[in-house]
Amino acid sequence: MNTNKIDHIIALSNDLRWQIGDEFHDNLAEGIYADAAEIVKGAVRKKDEKGTFRIDAKIDKIITSKVWGFPLMFVILAVVLWMTIVGANYPSAMLSGLLLDTIHPALKGFASNIGMPWWLDGFLIDGVYLAVAWVIAVMLPPMAIFFPLFTLLEDFGYLPRVAFNLDHLFKLSGAHGKQALTMSMGFGCNAAGIVATRIIDSPRERLIAIITNNFSLCNGRWPTQILIATIFVGALVPATYSGIMSLAAVIGIAVLGMVFMFLVSWGLSKTVLKGEVSTFNLELPPYRPPRFWKTIYTSIIDRTLIVLWRAIVFAAPAGAVIWLISNIYLGDDSIAAWLIDSLDGFGFLLGLNGVILVAYIVAIPANEIVIPTILMLTVLVTGISAGEGAGVMFELDSVTATGDILRAGGWTLLTAINLMLFSLLHNPCSTTIYTIYKETKSVKWTTVASVLPVILGFVVTFLVAQIWRLLA
Amino acid sequence: MNTYNPITALAVFFALSILAYLLFRPNKGWFWLIKNSSVSNDKIVVEDVLKLLYHNENADKHLNVNDIIRTLKYNDKLILECINRMSDHALISIQGDSVKLTKSGSDYALRIVRAHRLWEKFLAEKTGFKESEWHERAERMEHELSKVEADILSSQLGNPQFDPHGDPIPTNTGKIAKVKGIPVSELPIGTIGRIIHIKDKPEIIYKQILAENIHIGSVIRIMEKTPARIEFHSEGEAFVLAPIMAGNITVSVLEKDVVFEENLARLSILKENETAKIIGISKEIRGDSRRRLLDLGFVKGAEVKIDLLNPLGDPKAFLIKGTSIALRQNQASKILIQKD
Repeated sequence: MNTNKIDHIIALSNDLRWQIGDEFHDNLAEGIYADAAEIVKGAVRKKDEKGTFRIDAKIDKIITSKVWGFPLMFVILAVVLWMTIVGANYPSAMLSGLLLDTIHPALKGFASNIGMPWWLDGFLIDGVYLAVAWVIAVMLPPMAIFFPLFTLLEDFGYLPRVAFNLDHLFKLSGAHGKQALTMSMGFGCNAAGIVATRIIDSPRERLIAIITNNFSLCNGRWPTQILIATIFVGALVPATYSGIMSLAAVIGIAVLGMVFMFLVSWGLSKTVLKGEVSTFNLELPPYRPPRFWKTIYTSIIDRTLIVLWRAIVFAAPAGAVIWLISNIYLGDDSIAAWLIDSLDGFGFLLGLNGVILVAYIVAIPANEIVIPTILMLTVLVTGISAGEGAGVMFELDSVTATGDILRAGGWTLLTAINLMLFSLLHNPCSTTIYTIYKETKSVKWTTVASVLPVILGFVVTFLVAQIWRLLA
Repeated sequence: MNTYNPITALAVFFALSILAYLLFRPNKGWFWLIKNSSVSNDKIVVEDVLKLLYHNENADKHLNVNDIIRTLKYNDKLILECINRMSDHALISIQGDSVKLTKSGSDYALRIVRAHRLWEKFLAEKTGFKESEWHERAERMEHELSKVEADILSSQLGNPQFDPHGDPIPTNTGKIAKVKGIPVSELPIGTIGRIIHIKDKPEIIYKQILAENIHIGSVIRIMEKTPARIEFHSEGEAFVLAPIMAGNITVSVLEKDVVFEENLARLSILKENETAKIIGISKEIRGDSRRRLLDLGFVKGAEVKIDLLNPLGDPKAFLIKGTSIALRQNQASKILIQKD
């Protein structure tokens, strides 16, 4: 065909488009849908589904009722979290017995047998191996319990009803009801919570859910909160009440996280996300018996292992860095000591200390290794005899002994409270940051999601510290 | 080790916070003001003068230099300089008192108008900004879109003919569709028509019209007309407007055989155990949200009833085509139904 003809056709099509007007697309689409509906009406015959429908309606009436809806929701969430946190202790202990207490010494023995130089042995085994092993031991069991439970509830059809019940609250902060689900998923793992935001099909609400997911206290942070609350907050009251007191402190932090989630969602939807498209709808699928084994399989493969793999990829270099900064000396002090010293002033201003800030910088791959890193660094700078040497992360079986080390490092009740706050409000772990980038494909939103919480953390801990010192 | 006063620290912190607020608060922050003023002002002034002349010449009004200076909110000297420069570049010709666009000047003006209206269309279809913000944002963007960018934008939007206010968008060759319509204030009682244009100037009246929830594309029927007020029905609701507002709404009259659906209601007022048939989706829902609702089955003729009420009242779940779909109040209020 010669170009003249093509040009003519294009000109003609432009002219025609001009004549039929703008509404054409809309009307055509609506026409097609309406026609399809007519055809279906005439051609498709459905079995009488009233039987199953009545059961569905009954369950729905209870789950979305004014009286039972909310208590039921909190009970289920509490049971899932309890099963995760308590239930994970046993496999975690087994895994750490195997990976940390058996294989680690065995590897060390093997390395010294073949005459590996101390620095290579330290770098590979005390650094890389230990960090990876640690992450597997503390991360795998809770995720392997939490995600299948969560997926079962989802499969059964309960979770969409939760989103339905809570939507109004989320709407007030400019968010989507399904954010209730991604937020709960974040209690298991923020990276998985962010992947789960795919269920939110409205672009603006999805970004809000991604950016605020970090305010859900994840599995990596629950143990930190519990440990610190037990040592410092529980000790404030007589021993009989200390368990309740520390539990209340941890729940308080988790609730504070939700408050921040709502506030930040509201702020984002009013400012930077104002122009993003917002559409809402929520499908309430019929209830169905969950396919147990399939769910277990997919949730372990899709959610647990993918997240775990990402965590391992990031933990290995972090382990190396932790070992290196503790063992490379500049002048008289190790790099770690220099860093701690230079950050001490700023840390003090925030009611924290240099050790905590350094630990949060190097332990960015996983919140799970923050406490072991803090312990190692505290021992490194105070010089008390505990632990296993420079750059070797450790944890103690005894809570009291851990408390003793921390107090020797200069910790007070203020440090403990601010650590709990900072553990809630700091940058997401690198696995999460990477996942945010994968999901949003945007450097801008990844940066916002990473920097915003840490700024909030600085502001909150700073204010708490100043007010504390004024009153104390 | 550290000796300092917490009060000093707090004072420094609050001082910094206030400074950051002053610098970066939306729109009026100093940082944005400085950033905006550093953009070459001349180009914006020149383009605004061209646009002003273009719109007035379309309305057969001819302006002189003083009119221009009075209308545009820029420094008088700057405007004078720009007008002189424009005359040097043969964008305008000054004959005695009146200023006229030359051919190249009017081409340039059309390009700005095209960019402005395309951007409004883009904001309406692809973003979540409120209707009342479109004009202001397009006023800024029109100076930044190049001709090529405008063409790309246009083809991404499917070469639209009209902007969301119903104003024609010039093509890249400068062709403009004609708006053939009659202001609502001049229609006789009983006329059925479709809203094709809502003037976005003056802004006060435009915002009032928006607040009434009147939209382009809605079909209306004039019910009552007195010198003080005009009443019409549209999408199941009655609207009462002052003639000055009605004069800013243009309608194209529809043929006599068009069925105007009376007894329309909104999905939001449906009660439990009532059923209804869907008549359509208000024109207020556009872009992605509209497509989504159509996908879910909210199409003309579909049966709908309430499936579930919410413990907090909102959203409600509707049973449509055998599926339970939850919609929020503000969405349900834009779906038109006829109760059975």
